[in-house]
Amino acid sequence: MRNDKKITVSERTSAPMLNEQPKNGGINGFFAKEGTQSVLASLVCISAGLIIGFIVMLLISAFAERMSIADAFSGLAILVCGPFSSGSLNYITTNFGDMIFYAAPLILTGLSVAIAFKTGLFNIGAPGQFLMGTAGSLYVALSIDSRESGTGVAVWLLALLVGMICGMVWGAIPGLFKAFFGVNEVIVCIMTNWIAANLVSWFFSEKTNLINTGYGKSGYLITTEMTGNSTPKIGLDKVFSGSYIDSGIFIAAAVAVIIYIVLNKTIFGYELKACGNNRNAARYAGMNEKRNIILSMAIAGCLAALGGAVYYLNPGIEFAFSSAYSKLPDYGFNGIPVALLASNNPVGVIFSGIFLRYLGQGGDNLTSAGFNRYIADIIIALIIYFAGFSKLIRDLINKKRQMSMKKTKAAEDNSGAKKDREA
Amino acid sequence: MNHNPHMNTTAAEGSPYVIEMRGITKEFPGIKANDNITLQLKRGEIHALLGENGAGKSTLMSVLFGLYQPDEGQIFRDGVPVKINDPNDATALGIGMVHQHFKLVECFSVLDNIILGAETTKLGFLQKKEARRKVLDLSEKYGLHIDPDAIVEDITVGMQQRTEILKMLYRDNDILIFDEPTAVLTPQEIEELMEIMKGLAAEGKSILFITHKLAEIMAVADRCTVLRKGKYIGTVNTADTTKQELSDMMVGRHVQLVVEKDEAVPGDVVLSVRNLRVKSKLQKKDVVRRVSFDVHAGEIVCIAGIDGNGQSEFIHALTGLEPVGAGKIVLGGKDITNASVRNRSFMGLSHIPEDRHKHGLILDYSLEQNMVLQRYFEPEFQNHGFIRFNEVREYADNLIEKYDVRSGQGAATTVRSMSGGNQQKAIIARELSRDHKLLVAVQPTRGLDVGAIEFIHKEIIKERNAGRAILLVSLELDEVMTLSDRILVMFEGEIVGEFDPKKTDVQTLGMYMAGAKRQNSSKEEMTDAE
Repeated sequence: MRNDKKITVSERTSAPMLNEQPKNGGINGFFAKEGTQSVLASLVCISAGLIIGFIVMLLISAFAERMSIADAFSGLAILVCGPFSSGSLNYITTNFGDMIFYAAPLILTGLSVAIAFKTGLFNIGAPGQFLMGTAGSLYVALSIDSRESGTGVAVWLLALLVGMICGMVWGAIPGLFKAFFGVNEVIVCIMTNWIAANLVSWFFSEKTNLINTGYGKSGYLITTEMTGNSTPKIGLDKVFSGSYIDSGIFIAAAVAVIIYIVLNKTIFGYELKACGNNRNAARYAGMNEKRNIILSMAIAGCLAALGGAVYYLNPGIEFAFSSAYSKLPDYGFNGIPVALLASNNPVGVIFSGIFLRYLGQGGDNLTSAGFNRYIADIIIALIIYFAGFSKLIRDLINKKRQMSMKKTKAAEDNSGAKKDREA
Repeated sequence: MNHNPHMNTTAAEGSPYVIEMRGITKEFPGIKANDNITLQLKRGEIHALLGENGAGKSTLMSVLFGLYQPDEGQIFRDGVPVKINDPNDATALGIGMVHQHFKLVECFSVLDNIILGAETTKLGFLQKKEARRKVLDLSEKYGLHIDPDAIVEDITVGMQQRTEILKMLYRDNDILIFDEPTAVLTPQEIEELMEIMKGLAAEGKSILFITHKLAEIMAVADRCTVLRKGKYIGTVNTADTTKQELSDMMVGRHVQLVVEKDEAVPGDVVLSVRNLRVKSKLQKKDVVRRVSFDVHAGEIVCIAGIDGNGQSEFIHALTGLEPVGAGKIVLGGKDITNASVRNRSFMGLSHIPEDRHKHGLILDYSLEQNMVLQRYFEPEFQNHGFIRFNEVREYADNLIEKYDVRSGQGAATTVRSMSGGNQQKAIIARELSRDHKLLVAVQPTRGLDVGAIEFIHKEIIKERNAGRAILLVSLELDEVMTLSDRILVMFEGEIVGEFDPKKTDVQTLGMYMAGAKRQNSSKEEMTDAE
């Protein structure tokens, strides 16, 4: 057997007894698999979140005026059906396309948080890095007009690159403070978040006059459609007509796979995780833990920034620069639940990002049943909360399995002669 | 002794045992941790429970303390069958336990910790006065010296342990379980604890003493029950047995308690330390002062001393984990005073660290990943930055076989799930297999059982015979005396004496270790002049 797979299994911290594989296959063998148990535990979390969300809707519908219990059921249906929940077939494809589009930046900020977690750092600075990525990429994409020259793709790539570099620098700042002065990265991250927010608002404001914002809505930047440097849609807009969808999802998925490979197959990933798991042992082994802290934060910043770039380089998305200073972007913070739900597994982040957006998409349609869209946020919060119990759920599954195994065993042999050992 | 199962129906009062565990079996997936184990504790005796790591001692005690339910078997209290569902049941039956890792609230005072969970209150207000009187009475009665108002995080490990003991006594427990109580103590504190235990037994308390240190059993225990691999091996009176017999019972084969070794043949100087100083992190003064010595190829030099006299700081400076204050370290002719950890490793320094969990291993990594902890970047194990998994696996498998490292799933086992002895073996395998001239081994046998100690001692002697220089730091005087070719005693950060183990004894070393004596060494002056 090849050992690559084993390595990835071993990085999950599970009780050793979970790895025990019974000789006979069958239903018990299926439940003994760690993967099965993880998926089952996630399903239990999700169901529990939905059930409690449903109870909340029941309570609201029972007590609110002009609402009936039936509204709670249609609310649940809308949530569960997510993007498929309303309208004509045409509208469903739009909804589905939007879900995929909004999931891409979420996956990237999720990766940003996840890779920092792997190195033992909490990157709560994703919103600031997201904003820096937005600013860097939009500055490039909006200041060069490619509609006539036809260099759109090249400028787009340059914009992505500049955005990533901006985020990388921004992410490295908390890393530098942590490595050289021992300042907790959370504190520096929060400060850099607000610095970024104000910086970005000022950067695009009329006072600096760096980009001509005059053609956009007041307080908003023009979109990349005006300069022809948008993210390519590679025909996806034909399939999901009317939606924002572009090729960003492929960038996000590819980056997730790359991060997975870097973390699990390379010596660089080996070092990063070693520093995250046990900083003292990493130093004992001669690893440069300071360098690894800075690099990990820089990569995290780069990923969050890529999320911002992918989001705002879409031809349809407007950036509200004048109010950016007052509210940090949700995408940054939502990376945290995305990473948690995937237990920081980069490939898992792809699915958890899409899943959380799937609930969000359903939430956006909840108003048609008379509910506030924040019901979806309640359910997401509950699912994350229950994810904290996932080990407990796995243990319960195990216990049940052992009990059924024991019963069959006890039936086989029922004699247990006791021996007196002591003389 | 009576083993009639119907006995308990009639002999509730006549039972000679305060606690009897009969036929206890506890199975975990894949392992029978306890297999039909019997343990009988008499009133007022100190009963040792001996076994190697993983023999099932802790499981058995967890069953007694209500943390686990046995699959089979019964527990009797004074001959009456009882069911212990949780630690509260155990406390109600008068069973108390001092865990190996203390369960104290660090930021609470000693008194608060003792009464925590058993507070006397009036109208919801704590009545500490009475509690204080009771605690002070108990502390005087049993010679358990504590300061009731000291905060736990500020007091010594020994006093923390006395706090734990008082916790049990405060609850009027009369069956006291001590789980490896000496593992964290200095030799002086161990002696003190032994006296306390004897005093407690004399007052009619029954003590269960979990350990794998034979000397302690011989010193205090009345009887000893031996477990091996989850099975009951036997119970013996310590008066009628010897250390050798106990260790053979525990390991299941004949164990050499004292390793044989030939005369050392020292070669060239490998390590030379001159006037080394290390600054303290907390205070202004140096924790290591003017330390100078040489280690030659083919000899074992041992630094003896009471814990906390600068040994750890010295080793950290020597191995590059902490910066050197002043002085010079030369390894194999090259100055490594300011070299990085990795460069020292390249120059031939292998290091078995004091704390295997803090420094030695990445517990959530697999065994094979830990085996290449300092070598993962070498061309043998990587290809353009990608790990060569097959080579890593092959290398790890070789070491596992050579050093007999046992684990659940071989090279892929998560190190966290391995026993302490096998974790230490893994570190030793890794450090000895690297290309090295000098081996720095800090308490390499701490917390290990005799079988593992024998193995490690043999490996260290083999290293010496292969012509490597070995610097050993140990707190166990037995180990110092048997293993070393030359002894340096460290007291308050200074080398206060140099001895030949054949020409000195433990008492003399103890005097130097305690700072009562020091050699006015001419060597120091000589090195100062250099």
